[in-house]
Amino acid sequence: MALVSGPGRGGVAELPAEMRLFVDKHVHYIQSLDSRKDELEYWLTEHLRLNGLYWGLTALHLLGHPDALPRQGILDFVCSCLHENGGIGAAPGHDAHMLYTVSGVQILATLDAFADLEARVPGGRQKIAKYIADLQDPETGTFAGDEWGEQDTRFLYGALNALSLMGQLHLVNVDRAVAHIQSCANFDGGYGTSPGAESHSGQIFTCVAALTIAGRLDLVDQDKLGAWLSERQLKNGGLNGRPEKKEDVCYSWWVLSSLAMLNKLHWIDGEKLAAFILQCQDTELGGIADRPGDMVDVFHTVFGIAGLSLLKYPGLVEVDPI
Amino acid sequence: MAPTFYHDDPKWSNIKPIPQNDTARPLAAIAYTDEYSEAMSYLRAVMAKNEYSHRVLGLTDHIISMNPAHYTIWLYRFKVLSELHADLREEIAWLNVTALKHLKNYQIWHHRQTVIDKLGSPEGEADFIATMLQQDTKNYHVWSYRQFLVQRFGLFDDEGELKWTEGMIEEDVRNNSAWNHRYFLVFGGKGEQTADKAIVERELNYAKAAIKKAPQNQSSWNYLRGVVRRNKLPTSTLKDFALEFADIEKPDDVTSSYALDTLADIYTEYQSKREEAKKALDLLATRYDPVRAHYWNYRKRLLE
Repeated sequence: MALVSGPGRGGVAELPAEMRLFVDKHVHYIQSLDSRKDELEYWLTEHLRLNGLYWGLTALHLLGHPDALPRQGILDFVCSCLHENGGIGAAPGHDAHMLYTVSGVQILATLDAFADLEARVPGGRQKIAKYIADLQDPETGTFAGDEWGEQDTRFLYGALNALSLMGQLHLVNVDRAVAHIQSCANFDGGYGTSPGAESHSGQIFTCVAALTIAGRLDLVDQDKLGAWLSERQLKNGGLNGRPEKKEDVCYSWWVLSSLAMLNKLHWIDGEKLAAFILQCQDTELGGIADRPGDMVDVFHTVFGIAGLSLLKYPGLVEVDPI
Repeated sequence: MAPTFYHDDPKWSNIKPIPQNDTARPLAAIAYTDEYSEAMSYLRAVMAKNEYSHRVLGLTDHIISMNPAHYTIWLYRFKVLSELHADLREEIAWLNVTALKHLKNYQIWHHRQTVIDKLGSPEGEADFIATMLQQDTKNYHVWSYRQFLVQRFGLFDDEGELKWTEGMIEEDVRNNSAWNHRYFLVFGGKGEQTADKAIVERELNYAKAAIKKAPQNQSSWNYLRGVVRRNKLPTSTLKDFALEFADIEKPDDVTSSYALDTLADIYTEYQSKREEAKKALDLLATRYDPVRAHYWNYRKRLLE
């Protein structure tokens, strides 16, 4: 199987067998996800449908197969999840929530489809932006996930990400949001879900990315955080999410992208990590698991591939760490 | 367990279920199993007429048991509880059982916070948390929830809370969540305020004792270094202690890479100790933490 899809990087045939990425299998795996509707798993994950679509689509773009899912079908689906108030739900009939609104916007941006959105829903972009902006807590600067008011740095990052993709960052108080992130900085150099919450690689990604969008990386103790992040690598090459925990492929993204934003990607052993991710592939049916031998899923598939992309694995499209 | 259906249940005969409408949405067509599909169509029907009743409470229970991550249902369940002025203690009892079945679910924790906040008392929560942590001592949701309780009910200076945290660390000295909770209790409520000297001393001794038990432990070293930094003590305060585990004159006897790292930091602060600092970093790059050789070499370059 040739990896001919990338933007002109050669040498793939030279890779040893255990370093091979099974691109066609992964493309097929992602395409098959939506045709498995008779399986229990399919409806149990309905609350993730839009996220899943975003992850699958992103993986396909990185693999160099952006057209492997139908553009019109995707747009129909995103619009069918859009509520009158500008929020987006996980699937038709689900309540609007920040996480799915962000995924929806990311999908539209990936497909360069904001004009299509306007054609289908006039004023759609403004509506979505307003929905997101209204979830900011004017006191603390952070964001809620929905009308329940659950707050988490994940939502703050999502808000800034989606608003900047739509060119609507001016609708929120960025300085306040930045101050909130600073209040989540911990004694070990990391960040958690809220002030005082344990440092966690996923939350660190959300905080570092939000600060990058806000242009305030100067507020981060970069050497200290970089050291903490690089400490996530274990002897087997994989990365964990917190000290003294097990490795998991998804941290290939959360940790690596954070290191990339801090320009410290080289502080870990990239070759060892790439080998670890590749061991987690299902080489027959496609997809990537959390660790070797486990069940694959689309979440670990995209984060494994995105990790490999940051590591400049040949043939993959380069991913933006934010 | 046999599936539960509603169409032949007389208690539900006045409801006309609303089935999922997924025509002409190629990517959204969802084929449910019959039980889930029917329950959801009854939920849509009762939500459409804003019914808040005990039978709806039962219906949400049924759907949550099949799919706890469906966030819309939790939202509606809380509305029903409020409208019925239901006994929230009973809700907590129900949540105790439900939480054990769904350890990594976000919604369940937020629901619990909302209910406990309304109840205004953390009574019984410690036992529940103990049960949850037996399943996974590092469950992020559980520890975040514990922080919520500390904040909501002002337990920062509660002696029992600190004792409990100590017990968790004793059980597993590598439990980073427990160390973080300790930091949260001792310093977290204080903001920028200076801490009592005696308390700082107590915390340094506590971390050092834990390190002696397990020298190669990120969590206890992070804590020790964190306490030093927060209270603006010089890193050299830790020099004698670090030397117990790593001495660049005895490169074969290093028992903790974190001690070596600490020594490198201390030597770096002194112009006259540059060579010692480089030696410590070399040992880390080549022998004691080679996976991160690039990082240690970067630190070395900063010295030149």
